[in-house]
Amino acid sequence: MSHHAEPRPTESRFWTPGVMVMVCFMLAGGVALMARFIGGLGYATNLTDAYPWGLWIGIDVATGVALAAGGFSTAALAHIFGGHRYEAVTRPALLTAALGYTFVAIGIFVDIGRPWAIWKPMFFHNYTSVLFEVAMCVMTYLTVLWLEFVPIAAERWGEKIRLLGFLGRISTKVMSVLIVLGVVLSFMHQSGLGGLMLIAPTKLHPLWYTPLLPLLFLLSAISVGYPMVIFETGVATKSLKLESEMDILGPLSRFTILLLGIYMAVKLGDMFYRGTHVYLLDGTMQSNAFLLEVGLGVILPWLLILSPKTRRSRTRLFTAGALIVGGIVLNRVNVFLIGFTPPLADRPYFPSFAEVLVTAGFVATIMFLYRVAVTYLPVLSARSKEVSV
Amino acid sequence: MNMTRRVFLSGLGASALAGAAGPAQAWESKAPDDPLGCLVDLARCTGCRKCEQACNNVNDLPEPDTLFTDLRLLDVKRRPDAGAYTVVNRYFPGKVDDENQLIPVHVKVQCMHCQDPACASACITGALSKKDNGTVHYDVSKCIGCRYCMVACPFQIPAYEYHKTVTPKVMKCTFCFDRLEEGKKPGCAEICPVEAITFGKRSMLLELARRRIRNDPGRYVDHIYGEKEAGGTSWLYVSPVPFHQLGFIDVPDFPMPRLSESIHKAVYSYLWAPVALFGMLYGVKSYNDRRDQKQAGQGGAQ
Amino acid sequence: MNRKFVMAGVVVLFLALPSLAAITAQHVDPIPTKESFVPEDMIKARERAAIVPELVTEVREESLYQRRKTLLEKGVGIQDVKHTFMLLDSPIIKAEHEDFYEPVRFMHGKHISVVDGDCSKCHHLRPTDPELSETVACSACHQKAFDPERPERIGLKAAYHIQCMTCHEEMKKGPVDCLGCHSRNAPDHEELVKLRPDPEPWDVTAECLRCHEKQGEDMLRSAHWLWRGPSPYTVERTKEVMSGKATNAVNNF
Repeated sequence: MSHHAEPRPTESRFWTPGVMVMVCFMLAGGVALMARFIGGLGYATNLTDAYPWGLWIGIDVATGVALAAGGFSTAALAHIFGGHRYEAVTRPALLTAALGYTFVAIGIFVDIGRPWAIWKPMFFHNYTSVLFEVAMCVMTYLTVLWLEFVPIAAERWGEKIRLLGFLGRISTKVMSVLIVLGVVLSFMHQSGLGGLMLIAPTKLHPLWYTPLLPLLFLLSAISVGYPMVIFETGVATKSLKLESEMDILGPLSRFTILLLGIYMAVKLGDMFYRGTHVYLLDGTMQSNAFLLEVGLGVILPWLLILSPKTRRSRTRLFTAGALIVGGIVLNRVNVFLIGFTPPLADRPYFPSFAEVLVTAGFVATIMFLYRVAVTYLPVLSARSKEVSV
Repeated sequence: MNMTRRVFLSGLGASALAGAAGPAQAWESKAPDDPLGCLVDLARCTGCRKCEQACNNVNDLPEPDTLFTDLRLLDVKRRPDAGAYTVVNRYFPGKVDDENQLIPVHVKVQCMHCQDPACASACITGALSKKDNGTVHYDVSKCIGCRYCMVACPFQIPAYEYHKTVTPKVMKCTFCFDRLEEGKKPGCAEICPVEAITFGKRSMLLELARRRIRNDPGRYVDHIYGEKEAGGTSWLYVSPVPFHQLGFIDVPDFPMPRLSESIHKAVYSYLWAPVALFGMLYGVKSYNDRRDQKQAGQGGAQ
Repeated sequence: MNRKFVMAGVVVLFLALPSLAAITAQHVDPIPTKESFVPEDMIKARERAAIVPELVTEVREESLYQRRKTLLEKGVGIQDVKHTFMLLDSPIIKAEHEDFYEPVRFMHGKHISVVDGDCSKCHHLRPTDPELSETVACSACHQKAFDPERPERIGLKAAYHIQCMTCHEEMKKGPVDCLGCHSRNAPDHEELVKLRPDPEPWDVTAECLRCHEKQGEDMLRSAHWLWRGPSPYTVERTKEVMSGKATNAVNNF
């Protein structure tokens, strides 16, 4: 049906210098993790009573969830709205999402004070808690993601491992439900993640605190989905020396004009409606961070992808995608770290070395596992020039 | 130019959305009718730190580095932390006595035991909950240590035992829950030598506070901190000087959980929104899949 | 027969004498301990402190000036002080909580003379009941704290503290700190201290430091420990000692 080649393992050389560097980061992160579990949170982190959430929640969890949005947004486009030409990017996006969410869960496990009690929300429910809703959704969605991924693994090893093949067949049967469920769960917790801060109106800086926070988080997650695919495909094709997939990415970015446009409109409109634009030029770290987030991360890339020239050029498109991804990362960091300004705080939060090492280690591990997966599993559609038009 | 107008118009759309997502009327307070509380009279407090000591004894907290009799600690602006549920700080707001000496005002700080506590609304497992007797109670057996309560608390009260590796707890004033259940008074209120802390029903305390302010308007400012703050708290304060001069946080009058709970309820009551979204997307998918199959069939026929 | 008696007498004497000596020795112990000696007036003061008067529910509303005038007109004054001192040790307070401090010995007579016989300084209101005295005890009106029926009336402990401390502050006379009026209620060390039967001096120091570690460290930072050099200014000590704990003391722990 599709004129694209089927996805297959890249089988390129694995132990490149880049991978070695990643392994170094992973080892360093592992040492920092040991410090956290042996010495406790107080020993490894710079968290205080005023700043109970730090880098691990801001980056590993909140940003991780946002950047894994490629999984549900491409699935929705290709499988629900019938955009079959984009099927080639659903598998890598799914892999990224599955890995990303796995490390969101691990990040939560590392960050909470009583990791051994992480199962408790399954039995003790608090229905007024936004965090409870997010936790349940993330947990379910993580399961859904891996179930969606099972057929891919089964394609390769289903013959050898009977159970995997069996699971793969079952998963394929209910795939329609899984895909739709995945999108619904994503909508729920992407918005819920923004809702987390609604309960702290005195602590979150007015530039970010708005009743629309859940909506803004949802819109930004939807609009970062395709740019994230563009970004990671750019990195992957470069690193794995594959053919460029501009024939898919170019058209894909057209959706981003609309999606990012809506996000931008709501965000700026909300700012002017609430009159918080008065804070924009007061020179504090918060307002500068906001200017950076919206200027470099939303408005500039949106203007860039408006031009067809950008959408045709591989480098320019990659730049625009990277800017959008950066803008969303900064947005999550702003909401959870920089914009979080409790009225009584003797000194601002700055992550400790161990916190940075753990986060860097997680990012390296995700990249490492991604490389392992695309090397041995049919994820990427490596194409030759004869097939791609 | 074109762009600006478009942004502006979309902005109007956003404001309409903002209006729709505003606090729903459906939100109902879950506060107990007439809980127990305490009225702290800052005009009476002498800063003897006996409440800190009693609190430490009653709750079996670790012995502090500095003795409770060391009153120099009053001038260090402390906050309740993992080792102390309550602390007393000394302020010099500028009033002087007849010898031109600054008159100190002592401020006891502890959990306010909100009527609609943000921490209890936020808590992922319900480890924190508002009890009928007025206490905001912490059940450590449910806690996973996510610290969302600390993010949520507008008074910045809950502290965390960051130094503990395996079993850290959220540390905050218990309002002596167990003692209250036994019919006793909170440790601090019982020890206070000058009854700067009055213990009783919240309604009675509010009336008492109003009477004190009315009977001695020169001694008190006309503000009961906690009457309206965060939608009302079980602990109340009256003071001889405006509260913002005494390190009190300016907390808005609405209950903190109102907005998030309203939105949450609007979207998730009976899970209607997720179910509707699921149905809609599944419908679209089925339609598209059927169309594709038909096209594929036609393609095969050709 | 007689000899038998004499023998028995001798035996009894030999047996009884040591114990008798022991008994008499106890009786002539020259240092009176806390338990063995209580002044008679203190016994009486304790008895008075133990009385809890019936709670006065109704009081006559009077301004302080009016009250002072009333008392002057009725001739209530210094001559009405029955007891020169009283022990503020009411069971109303006692029952409530643990004690950090000993009860206060309040010099009633001294205080009334300091305020020139103005009883209204403390006896600020009187019961409505005409049968009762103009100057009832504090504990007649102020009893348990946080009485929900009379929320505005403070308890006895707070009444004492507010009355004493406010007046001391206003008159710039008298202590306003805890230890100015109370003596510390130190726990009985007889049961806390655990020493072996024949302790060496350093055993004793070690036992003190077992609980008072911080005080031990403070001591090491004080002149008592750090002092070195001559001691020419020591009172009634003519011999110059060129030493100090910090230099060549032997009994270092």
